[in-house]
Amino acid sequence: MSLWRLEYLRLVRTYRVWILLGIFGFFAVLGPATAKWLPEIVERLGGGVEVAVPPASPELAMAQYLGNALQIGLLAIAFVAASSLAFDANVEMATFLRTRTTVAKILEPRYVINMVAAVASFLIGSALAFVLSALLIDAPRIGGTVIGSLLVALYICFAVSVTGLFASLVRSVPGTALLTIGALIVLSIVGLIPAIRPWLPSDLVGGYDALINGGDFVYWRAIASAALLSVGAIAFSVYRMQRREV
Amino acid sequence: MEHAAVDVQDITKRYGDTVALEDVTLSVGRGSVYGLVGPNGAGKTTLLGILSGLRKPTAGTFGVDAAHIGVLPDTPRFDSWLTASEVVELSRALVAPGVAESSVDAVLEQTGLLSVAHRRVGGFSRGMLQRLGLAAAVIGEPEVLLLDEPAAALDPAGRREVLDMVSELRGASTVVFSSHILDDVQQVCDTVGILKQGQLVYEGTLDQLVRNAGHEAAYAVRIRGDGTQLVDVLKSYGWVSRVSLESEVVTVSAASGAVLERELVRCLARADVPIVSVRPVERSLEDVFLEVTQ
Repeated sequence: MSLWRLEYLRLVRTYRVWILLGIFGFFAVLGPATAKWLPEIVERLGGGVEVAVPPASPELAMAQYLGNALQIGLLAIAFVAASSLAFDANVEMATFLRTRTTVAKILEPRYVINMVAAVASFLIGSALAFVLSALLIDAPRIGGTVIGSLLVALYICFAVSVTGLFASLVRSVPGTALLTIGALIVLSIVGLIPAIRPWLPSDLVGGYDALINGGDFVYWRAIASAALLSVGAIAFSVYRMQRREV
Repeated sequence: MEHAAVDVQDITKRYGDTVALEDVTLSVGRGSVYGLVGPNGAGKTTLLGILSGLRKPTAGTFGVDAAHIGVLPDTPRFDSWLTASEVVELSRALVAPGVAESSVDAVLEQTGLLSVAHRRVGGFSRGMLQRLGLAAAVIGEPEVLLLDEPAAALDPAGRREVLDMVSELRGASTVVFSSHILDDVQQVCDTVGILKQGQLVYEGTLDQLVRNAGHEAAYAVRIRGDGTQLVDVLKSYGWVSRVSLESEVVTVSAASGAVLERELVRCLARADVPIVSVRPVERSLEDVFLEVTQ
């Protein structure tokens, strides 16, 4: 039994990984389905009222997937990551680990496995949305989908790092998760300022839609800031937790 | 102290204005069992937290001469979805990767948990969790063991087993063991430290503690029949400070234990009373503890 297996078991035995897969899988089905059949659904439920609905397109299907999945998915990712990274929330369990190994060794598998689980869930959902969109409507741009998915994957890693940062500042799991969500929302609001937006990690999410729609790749600054801020957040969390008393 | 495994020098710990420990100095000899006693809030858990590296002292220094320290918190808890075997195996892998995996079963057997080794710990009682915590602490034979109330949640049989385990560790490991159950401390500890409001008010052996408390010695004389006459006879001697009669037991106290031991039997012979037994009345650690801490 290693700390890596401990984290793997936490994901599997507590159904956390199935929750993540379920959320992204559900929206991967819902996105293309609503894009395909939304005009008919609206027409049947409209009761004679005319509602303008965009025509079904693979771009709309993928946008539906990302828009819905990332909202609920980020909330789930924050809670799943917080339940692992905020290990000081339970003093006795923290005592067990801290008296046997270093904080860095405790956190290493927790960061990696939570990032892998969250990113894999999103990518599986993205691939499923791609396939369903191709079957139901038309194939989205494969290059845009792949690169856009990788941009969102980096954003998810950033979100997990932010969760770790807050886990080092507060001790509670809900507190850590809610602060993470709050910080990501604030980041999105700050991103409304055009001059700052290209530098923010939140711009990576916009890259998904833009690249699937055939837009240019202009995300180097967001990639750099997301990578740097993630590394900084992880390093800070290790530093803080090493100095924290239990 | 020479060969001290745990050495604490003038440790002070403050939480804001609250003083949890104040100028505590103590030393624990290698291979000994040290009992840390004191009322709730005396600073026992804080001191163990400092020794285990989980808390930092505000002032003072300490040293624990051990490559591997085993720690048992007062209310051990583990991820509920792990099995007992996995908890101990994780502990082994972290602190003693060189120790054979088969030692996990041996330790679980030693703590009475082998039959539930593959059950998830979420359903364990507090006593079972305490045994599991002890199993996880002793795996790999740590040089120093810090046990915070290790028998607090156990039934009498479980307590006996845990105390026996601690006794068996004497010599192989240095044990610092906090408890408010004085009987437990009395049974297994070589040395005791009494904490009161963050201060170490006594450190020494249990014999010294009871002997140095400055109180009179006493003997209990069990007789057959009415003891009133014996009580009157004993009261007539100048060296007797107190005599009491309860049922058929006459308790005789004297300021000097030596005089009591020399004179009592002589006086009993003169009194011509049927004697069943004569034994010294040992003052319990609890009696002395209450005197020291109140």
